[in-house]
Amino acid sequence: MPTSDPGLDKTLSALGLTQASEVAARFAELRAHFDAQLLEVHDEAGWKRFRDTWLGRKSGVLTQITGNWLKPAAPESKPAVGAALNALRAHVESQVEERRAAIECGAEESALARERTDLSLPGVIRPVGSHHLIRQVFQAIEDIFFSIGFSVVEGPEIETPYYNFEALNIPEFHPVRDDMDTFYLDLPKGAPGPLLLRTHTSPMQIRTMERQKPPVRVIVPGKVYRRDNPDATHSFIFHQVEGLAVDTDITFCDFTGTIEYFVKQFFGPQVTTRFRPSYFPFTEPSVEFDVSCPFCGGTGTAAGGGTCSKCKGAAWIELFGAGMVDPAVYGFVNYDAKKVSGFAFGVGIDRLAMLKYGIDDIQVFFQNDVRFLGQFP
Amino acid sequence: MKVVYNWLKDFVDVTATPQELASRLALSGTNIGGVENGAHGAVIEAEVSSNRPDCLGHLGIAREVAAIYRLSLKHVAPKPAEGAAKASDAIRVEIQSPELCGRFTARVIRNVKIQPSPKWLRDRLEASGVASISNVVDISNFVMLELGHALHTFDYDKVRDHKIVVRRAKHGEHMRTLDGIERQFDSDICLISDGDGSHAIGIGGIMGGAETEISFSTKNVLIECAWFEPVAIRRAARFLKLHTEASTRFGRGADPEMAELASRRAAELILQLAGGELLAGVVDIYPGKRAPQKIRVTRSEILRVMGADVPDKEIEASLGALGFAPVRVDQNRGAEGSLLAAWESTPPSWRAEVEREIDLIEEIARIYGLDKFPPRLPPARQGAARLPHYEAETRLRECLIGLGYREILTIPHVREERDALFRPAGITPAHLSNPLSEEASVLRSTGAVTMAAALEWNLNHGQRNARFFEIGRHYRLHGSNPVETRVLTIGATGAAREKGLYDTACDFSFADLKGDLDTIGALAARFTWSDGGPSWLHAGRSGNIGAIADDPISRTSFGVAGQLARRIADKLKLRQDVFLAELELDPVYAAMQAAKEARRYEPVPRFPAVERDFSLLLADGTKFSDVTETIQSLGIGEIHGIEATDLFRGKNVPAGKYSLLVRVILQSREATLTDAQISDFSGRIRAALETHLGAQLRAS
Ligand SMILES: [Zn+2]
Repeated sequence: MPTSDPGLDKTLSALGLTQASEVAARFAELRAHFDAQLLEVHDEAGWKRFRDTWLGRKSGVLTQITGNWLKPAAPESKPAVGAALNALRAHVESQVEERRAAIECGAEESALARERTDLSLPGVIRPVGSHHLIRQVFQAIEDIFFSIGFSVVEGPEIETPYYNFEALNIPEFHPVRDDMDTFYLDLPKGAPGPLLLRTHTSPMQIRTMERQKPPVRVIVPGKVYRRDNPDATHSFIFHQVEGLAVDTDITFCDFTGTIEYFVKQFFGPQVTTRFRPSYFPFTEPSVEFDVSCPFCGGTGTAAGGGTCSKCKGAAWIELFGAGMVDPAVYGFVNYDAKKVSGFAFGVGIDRLAMLKYGIDDIQVFFQNDVRFLGQFP
Repeated sequence: MKVVYNWLKDFVDVTATPQELASRLALSGTNIGGVENGAHGAVIEAEVSSNRPDCLGHLGIAREVAAIYRLSLKHVAPKPAEGAAKASDAIRVEIQSPELCGRFTARVIRNVKIQPSPKWLRDRLEASGVASISNVVDISNFVMLELGHALHTFDYDKVRDHKIVVRRAKHGEHMRTLDGIERQFDSDICLISDGDGSHAIGIGGIMGGAETEISFSTKNVLIECAWFEPVAIRRAARFLKLHTEASTRFGRGADPEMAELASRRAAELILQLAGGELLAGVVDIYPGKRAPQKIRVTRSEILRVMGADVPDKEIEASLGALGFAPVRVDQNRGAEGSLLAAWESTPPSWRAEVEREIDLIEEIARIYGLDKFPPRLPPARQGAARLPHYEAETRLRECLIGLGYREILTIPHVREERDALFRPAGITPAHLSNPLSEEASVLRSTGAVTMAAALEWNLNHGQRNARFFEIGRHYRLHGSNPVETRVLTIGATGAAREKGLYDTACDFSFADLKGDLDTIGALAARFTWSDGGPSWLHAGRSGNIGAIADDPISRTSFGVAGQLARRIADKLKLRQDVFLAELELDPVYAAMQAAKEARRYEPVPRFPAVERDFSLLLADGTKFSDVTETIQSLGIGEIHGIEATDLFRGKNVPAGKYSLLVRVILQSREATLTDAQISDFSGRIRAALETHLGAQLRAS
């Protein structure tokens, strides 16, 4: 960059500029010179030199003018020189700053253009793990019931026939036992009684009521076992959430209202519910509980026409069994059946997860293939 | 039970379409499997629940239909023409075990002609999925499907002495049943025997014997229509592994009053289709006759249980249609909708399971319609609680997931040999007495056994990188007491980091496992490690884990971690290193809880930290912990951290020694450390390491 204009190191009078007009013309010349130089400034290094040339504290153009032109000027011409200098300073400072901003943006832009990151390349992935899908469904159900006052309890998977059957009003040779093929433990001689793998989470109804007086509101998530040969829809282990509410004023309406609330929270508000009378030894009245098929909107017809594969055209999906606690059960836990009432239900988690996520083989839950686990982060 | 739509019309004038009818039945308690249109019209598949044996016949279903649609039910009143000779002269019946057989009726028809059934009968049976055999056999099936009561026909001439004795089996006694199988009995089984009673000709309520079976040469027929005790029948059917149409009906509780009627109906049909002469009267031994019980149902109880009212008319109509004959008995009789209203009902003989007020309420509600009870969400009376360890488990799970571990769920049933590989000495596993297979015959006694199997499964399916955790239980027996222990199991194999654009590959190592466990350990203040570990882990790369908590349970070792022993890896054919850890969770949760409660804010230091490196040459066997303890024993409060930053053996390091680069971080809470302070600390650290550990210090 050309350095400063000659004559800056001399006083105005030494330059022979005595007339105000001559001084003004000289300032105009300087300004034009500045403007011309400004156009040549394109990068940060050039801008720094340019700034130092004009605004440098020791020998910048403006410093020189102040020292050589303004200070020695005759008193009568000082105001004019001062005013011209201030005008020039204002112009220079604003333009220098403007130029800096322009260069910064421009530099970034040109750098971007040159070195733009290929966004189609992956970043550095730090692999995170995942919750098991069954765990996710458990959590969703727990959260829904927790929000309406249900506490969570757990119980043993190895149970006595008393808790698994008798206290639930299922005596030996009850026909319902035929539907619950049961694993028994091989115990040493002299064991006090047989032990089995619980066939449902319902034993915790009894254990909970033994431990506490009404009001009771609990859910029991856990593993259950039935001695079924494994296939795509059967596993000898599966997961349930048991629910139990007992109080002095729990009615069938409270029961259906609670279940309906759960279903709408789980499947969405558009889902409707239906209760069909059914039979379980430990509830009465007992119901099977259906939801309008959430996949076809309860029409039985799939989106593209044809029969809905989820409900097989029935428009309803059978979800689980439930009912009002049978008064006989209260007899086993010393509750007064004349004073308290309540409801109980048992939700099969695996089936719910299979329905909701379109899984057609229950075995995938237990194979733990990373390619399955990774699908539900 | 296949319900033939046209058959129902014999009993009730139903006009609803089969589809409509099926859905109304479903909503009133008869579960419906489907409706099919076949050659004989619509057939509704009814999945009758085990408490409703009355619905195992068309009459029973028709009664439901009549109740739902408020139609009248036609009566069944067969009046077969009887001959002059008396049945009681032709057959004698003795019940020696009235506790097993509550009623036994016998009718005899002479000179029948056994021949194929007419078309209408064959069609009905075919629609019901029953094969046609001959007129007399078909009639007994027909009557069973019609009235829901099983009966049996004998070749009268093959019944010795024309005498029936109903008795308990003798232990070990055997007989060949109709299906040609020789069956052996125990003394809780009810047998029909003939002659002097020593010789069995049928199993009561389950299946007849082969010897006295009706054949095409049969001339004279003995009709048995009886009632057997349900629990004994269910026990016997299970004992014999013989479940028949008859055992299903008797096992669920048949109608004792129906026995005589069904016999009469069968006689009527036999006369019609096989001819012959019906002997007069019936031999009817009925020790189990029950007196009808009255049950009261009140509006107040209906309201208390159901939460909404049912009008008087609906109560009376539904109970009436089902045969309960309700009678209003309260003092406000005549006042409709009275809150004091009470009815007395008499359960009909076909509804023995109805014994209590709640049973009647269920009947009323299901016929009235469950949808008429408006749902409402009951307000909660008290706060809800999560599981006590909910928060700790959630933190643990989140931490593991953040570290890249995927949660798995395994089946605890394993093969005995497999469990034994991982089972600590002295532990009794929980064996199943009736496993489905040897592969699944014992409950896992450690979490590691199924974790190893999950990794194995992935390796065998081409997935070589896996990092898993499972929060589950292991199962052991203490004597005959089962003990279920919550455990966290961790398993990892393959790459800790895969080769990528920016990284090189790096295999998962023991250090990865230890680092991840120590990250978890930070939630419980800190895990402590000690030498050792179970035999299923690599002896050189394994350890026991405890915590530093005050709680003595948490302080003792509650976990193990390490590389799977080669011996086991080879046995499982695992061709790459596998790392496993297992921690009992209750002590971990306790330590987490204690650590959480003890945690207090510590102001962030305001003055800069200084790092000083010490390059040590140490004798093999000297541990890093010896170094840290030596440095810490100086009691220099400004020591903020001690880190191992490099470790090597071999080149330039004499045998029996190793080189360790240790970084000490110095920081004061009061002021910036001066050069003089720093060199004083460094000097003391050097001296201590030299004196106590014999370390040679190199310039660093
Ligand atoms: Zn659908």
